[in-house]
Amino acid sequence: MILEARDLNYYYQDGDMRRYILKDTSVSFEKGKFYTILGQSGSGKTTLLSLLSALDSPHSGTILFNDQDIKQIGYENYRRNHVGIIFQSYNLIPTFTAVENVLIPMSITENEVPEDQKTVAYNLLDYIGIVKSKADRTVNKLSGGEQQRVAIARALATNVELIVADEPTGNLDEEMEQEIIDIFKRLAHEHNKCVIVVTHSNEIALQSDQSFLLRKGVLTANE
Amino acid sequence: MNFLKRGLLGITRKKGKSLILLAVIFVLGNLISGATAIQQATVNVETNIKERMGALATIQYDYEELDQLSEEEWMEIEWQNIGPDLIEQVGELSYVKYYDYNMTNYLGSNSIESYQGDVEEVVHHIGPSMDFYMKGINYAPVLDFEEGKGQLVDGRVFTEEEVKNGSSVAIISKKLADRNNLQVGDNFTLVNEVYFWDYETGEEEIVASRDVVLEIIGLFESLTLNEDMEMDDGFIDWMDLDYQNTIYVPNAIVINETEFYYEEYIKADKEYAESIAGEAIDYEYYEPMFVLNSPEDSEAFAEEVKPLLPQYYTVISATDQYDNIAGPVESMSNLSKYVLIAAAIATILIIGLVVLLFLRDRKRELGIYLSLGESRGKVIGQILIEVMVVAFVGITLSLFSGNMMAGSISESMMKVDDQDYYHDYMYYGFNNDITTEDVIDAYEVTFDSTYILVFYGIGLLTILLSTIIPLVYIVRLNPKKILME
Repeated sequence: MILEARDLNYYYQDGDMRRYILKDTSVSFEKGKFYTILGQSGSGKTTLLSLLSALDSPHSGTILFNDQDIKQIGYENYRRNHVGIIFQSYNLIPTFTAVENVLIPMSITENEVPEDQKTVAYNLLDYIGIVKSKADRTVNKLSGGEQQRVAIARALATNVELIVADEPTGNLDEEMEQEIIDIFKRLAHEHNKCVIVVTHSNEIALQSDQSFLLRKGVLTANE
Repeated sequence: MNFLKRGLLGITRKKGKSLILLAVIFVLGNLISGATAIQQATVNVETNIKERMGALATIQYDYEELDQLSEEEWMEIEWQNIGPDLIEQVGELSYVKYYDYNMTNYLGSNSIESYQGDVEEVVHHIGPSMDFYMKGINYAPVLDFEEGKGQLVDGRVFTEEEVKNGSSVAIISKKLADRNNLQVGDNFTLVNEVYFWDYETGEEEIVASRDVVLEIIGLFESLTLNEDMEMDDGFIDWMDLDYQNTIYVPNAIVINETEFYYEEYIKADKEYAESIAGEAIDYEYYEPMFVLNSPEDSEAFAEEVKPLLPQYYTVISATDQYDNIAGPVESMSNLSKYVLIAAAIATILIIGLVVLLFLRDRKRELGIYLSLGESRGKVIGQILIEVMVVAFVGITLSLFSGNMMAGSISESMMKVDDQDYYHDYMYYGFNNDITTEDVIDAYEVTFDSTYILVFYGIGLLTILLSTIIPLVYIVRLNPKKILME
């Protein structure tokens, strides 16, 4: 088991009332699998993902990465060395080229990265379908699908075992959506990564190894 | 792609914003640069002029304080002389390089003539004129020579023994010696005559007289007046007559002659003798002169000495005169100080605001770095590099233009202020030949290493301070809110 959430609670305080987004949520994830978390808008799936990626902290409960509390690892350290995050709106640095965007996490991580970082970055981009001529363009000159591929390459750049993605195909057409899902499946099955994707799409959920349903703050297995 | 490289790339990739920041920094930098240049110039002129004024200090009556007294208060003053003990106590302070104290008197002579410059007319006196200024010394090498007022051109200075024993030896000016065909080793005679004005007869008579025979041990020349002064030689001679007729002797000689004079005078003037009957008469009145290690020590020296002095005495330094003659420079200094403060505050606010606005536009970018696990310190470092590199370029450009601007402004302001300050000041203390014109001449906006260092220091520090508010903004960023909105 690479990642485990135990009894997570997350709420908003509304006067004397607590509005729970996640209530006593427990879930675990393994390497080599592609997971999806399904849910309606406002169901708390993005909140769950932000907790799993240490962009936010729960009010109670623990998240264990390789059996170690991520609080102990340190949120910043955890994000730097153990998790790759992919956002719906790509979140690339618009003034930098695709390859420069991929190079950024390589200089931030403490994981071992090859000395010739630029070659590695070009290879990663090539692997997910961005050729060199496009890799040298500033990212705002790329299509949405291409930008999302750059974001995936960036998430992989630090050689992490865990990839979390928040609605990664939300802004893409169906054809591009499938290409991105295929990449995730490949990362899980061929490269032994743990890929967790938050989505509201049943089609994507059907392609995952395991799917969870988040409803009213409660996470259940989606049979 | 570490934060340093990202910072540099950020400058070149966002050219528009970098140029706006550069322009703002350049404009504000000119103000800071100009004000710094003027500040430096005023500091330089103060140091320069004070060096020229010398590191001299003396103790004398505080005439400004005495001027404030009423007639009744004047009557109640118990006048006290400054004695050798107090002078020596002050002379031992660490600020003092060496010191002297002088008792002076005027004597005449029947055997030698005073030096009168190029004036051909012979001035006739009834009896000998009191042309010779006897200056007693305690500092054997002669302080006036050490301080460049005069220089020994023949013979020698006094020995400690001669000073201590009050030997009958003297150093006179070469011009006085030449006029009287005297040389080192010769003797000459002064006369100490006591005059008494008889009110009943309305006549002045000599009631006592004695000769003072002195051996010449050295000759000096005056260095007081520069030869390049734009005056004719005759006028220079006239200004220098007092010094040419100065005769340096040990203090004891002057004390003896002063004592003789007063004792004889009291014998002649019964009325005066009655008025002072029973009072102890102190014939010793010294003018101390302290040479300090540096003109900059003047204020500290004065502060330490003032508590030791009797009432109505004060410390006068050669550099005190600076404030009286440095009007135009002082006003420039004050103006530039205010401009500097205002410019620094404006820079902090304006640059702070500009950087903050730029950062708000880049909120998402900063959130991305944080989501990738970058430390807030390095994100701050990246922004600092972006701002400081642009600031460095802007400051470097304004270094030259601001300096030129300061030169032009100073020139025009000096012309205006010169009219107001040039003349008419009342000054009690050292009278040297340094005037407001000298101060203005010495004022120069320079482009030296001190100016460059001070300006870069002030400029970059100001910019650094201006980024504090934006940096607080970065520290408060929440990547989840930024990226998952």
